[in-house]
Amino acid sequence: MAQMLLWVLPLVPTVTALLMLTTRDRRILSVIDVGSSAVLFALTLVLAREVATGGPQALGVLRVDDLGLVFLLLLVILTLAVSIYTVGWLRQAVEVGNMKAESLRSYFVLMHAFVATMVVTVLADNLGVLWIAMEGTTITSAVLIGYHGHQHGLEAAWKYIIVTTIGISFGLFGTVLVYAAATDVMGGAGAMSWSAIMKVAPMLDPGIVRIGFIFVMVGYGTKAGLAPMHLWLPDAHSQAPTPVSALLSGILIKCALLAIIRFQTIASAACGPAFPAEVLLVFGLTSVVVATPFILVQQDIKRLLGYHSIEHVGIVALGLGFGGSVGTYGALLHVVNHGITKALAFFAAGTAIARYGSRDIHVIRGLLAVAPIGATLLMLAALSLAGMAPFSIFVSELMVLRAGIGHGHWVAIAIFLVMVVVIFAGLLHHVGAMVFGEPTAAAGREVEAWSPLLGMLLLAAIMVLLGLTIPASFDGLLERATEVVVG
Amino acid sequence: MNPETVQTIIDDLGALLLFTMILIIAARQISHAIHAVAAQSLLIAIAGAVLATATGNEDLWVIAGVTLAIKAIVLPWVLHWVVRRLNVRREIEPVIAISATLALAVGVVVMSFHLSASLGPVRQAITGNALPVGIALTLLGVLVMATRKTALTQMVGLFASENGIFFTAMAVTQGMPLIIEIGVILDVILAALVMTIMVLRVRSTVDADIADLDRLRG
Repeated sequence: MAQMLLWVLPLVPTVTALLMLTTRDRRILSVIDVGSSAVLFALTLVLAREVATGGPQALGVLRVDDLGLVFLLLLVILTLAVSIYTVGWLRQAVEVGNMKAESLRSYFVLMHAFVATMVVTVLADNLGVLWIAMEGTTITSAVLIGYHGHQHGLEAAWKYIIVTTIGISFGLFGTVLVYAAATDVMGGAGAMSWSAIMKVAPMLDPGIVRIGFIFVMVGYGTKAGLAPMHLWLPDAHSQAPTPVSALLSGILIKCALLAIIRFQTIASAACGPAFPAEVLLVFGLTSVVVATPFILVQQDIKRLLGYHSIEHVGIVALGLGFGGSVGTYGALLHVVNHGITKALAFFAAGTAIARYGSRDIHVIRGLLAVAPIGATLLMLAALSLAGMAPFSIFVSELMVLRAGIGHGHWVAIAIFLVMVVVIFAGLLHHVGAMVFGEPTAAAGREVEAWSPLLGMLLLAAIMVLLGLTIPASFDGLLERATEVVVG
Repeated sequence: MNPETVQTIIDDLGALLLFTMILIIAARQISHAIHAVAAQSLLIAIAGAVLATATGNEDLWVIAGVTLAIKAIVLPWVLHWVVRRLNVRREIEPVIAISATLALAVGVVVMSFHLSASLGPVRQAITGNALPVGIALTLLGVLVMATRKTALTQMVGLFASENGIFFTAMAVTQGMPLIIEIGVILDVILAALVMTIMVLRVRSTVDADIADLDRLRG
């Protein structure tokens, strides 16, 4: 039963995509969209219960363990929220002509193809399948990023597809090297399966695994948006349609992190945990430092959020690099917290942009007066992103810090703290100016639409809940996922 | 064939592959670069056939055949078609001088051989010098993409880069699982398709090269 579910999960969005080819009506498309996301969500909950009681499940090249489940849950929650948000967002976008009514079908089809490839990425046990699915996410999302069809969108899409495709070629090379090391020990059969490699990992040749890990780190790190390979990220996040931006930042870059974690566990076993940890620390610190100045001077709200994602991916890499159970637990919790919060921030920013007809921070003023609920949610998301207590990101950042202090990484901690404080001030300054004050003339005065609000409230509820307390079942899941990584 | 012969053939093919890579970097006209990458793919297909005969691994025949059909014939043909369709007047536009790129390329090749010489025992898992050649091709492909401003040249760099990975993957003693290789090639085709559409779309709307757009900054 549970094994069958592994194959049903990626089939749900695939079949949905095919089903959507039969209609052009916006309402019907939206109904199918929300329905399919709800089914995916429900099936994942069933799978989660099976895994909690029966341990990891595997069938063929797909496998789910607690680690994959953390990412899968984040994926289905965000997909559901995006589907609900899209209903109202799309109505508005069609009205103002941002989206053409006659080409909506291909948008939905691509969205579900994108979700399907991400589901496979998360569930892949075979490292080759992982790579193929990851390149699949690049192809589908590249078209979505350029979807508006204007020059800037296509420029961003080109940069994205070129940089990430070349990036993950490095990932494939790293995969081949790890495979070569594994065949040397266990022969050809099953030498691409992560779970099979993990069984023999301590016997792998450390030299080749080390080079393989660096290739993988650069490769999937490109896709994760780690600096200095992050060049595609701000452009893509700012030019994509808002629901796509939310998925890119919320889950796609986390999928790449999952791939890195899979190889980190292999490398830790083969050449000791110190080597991959050091590599992760270097990339993590670089990301946090590189993102900071761009956040301070940013004029474009979606670019601001994009650069901010680079900082947070860096924090996750730092957590994994500090290591130990505290660091890894913190990193995994941060993946979920940031995914939920950043999607919320993109949603809130998207409705504000639609209201003012501009992405410029200086144009969006006095949001609270014209859209009180949306403005409150944007402020809450910003407070959480900045790392304010008692929101969820504060909790996971604190864990990462504690792990760093526990292992005596004083220099890294000092740099990290300075950057976080600077970003805290910069982000709240920008968002505060947008929310408070007198509304500019550009502000639309229409009533806030219900469906975007519903999507945002769903995410806000999870964000607030995870800040106050971590439910026992979720805590157990994270604990077990941490064990998968730390061993 | 005995292992020494195979190793010699693979090493010779590796040298030819590096030579085609130099041709791609030195090309002053886009069509020359496309010819060179087609020749490179042909050499990869030959390497696949040689390894298939030597190891008796039948999957490698399929991979060699697919490489020949897709990467040596179809994709270069598509690129030529786009060149004709766009009527590209501007030829290759390097960001830095071609001679400087060549000097960098020499450094990359030396570094790749140095790197894999330091590996020692691992080398037995991969035939001959396939590892350093593969690393060099992959990195040089990236170099081409980073130092050229036209979309088509960037695509040629991408294909060259992927050729490097394929060469190493074939030479891993056991070969890669067939289904994975097919999946990878499928991804390459789809990516090339999407890129081609983007290039044509930008050219038809603003009459500019998509890789030359630089409005998004900061």
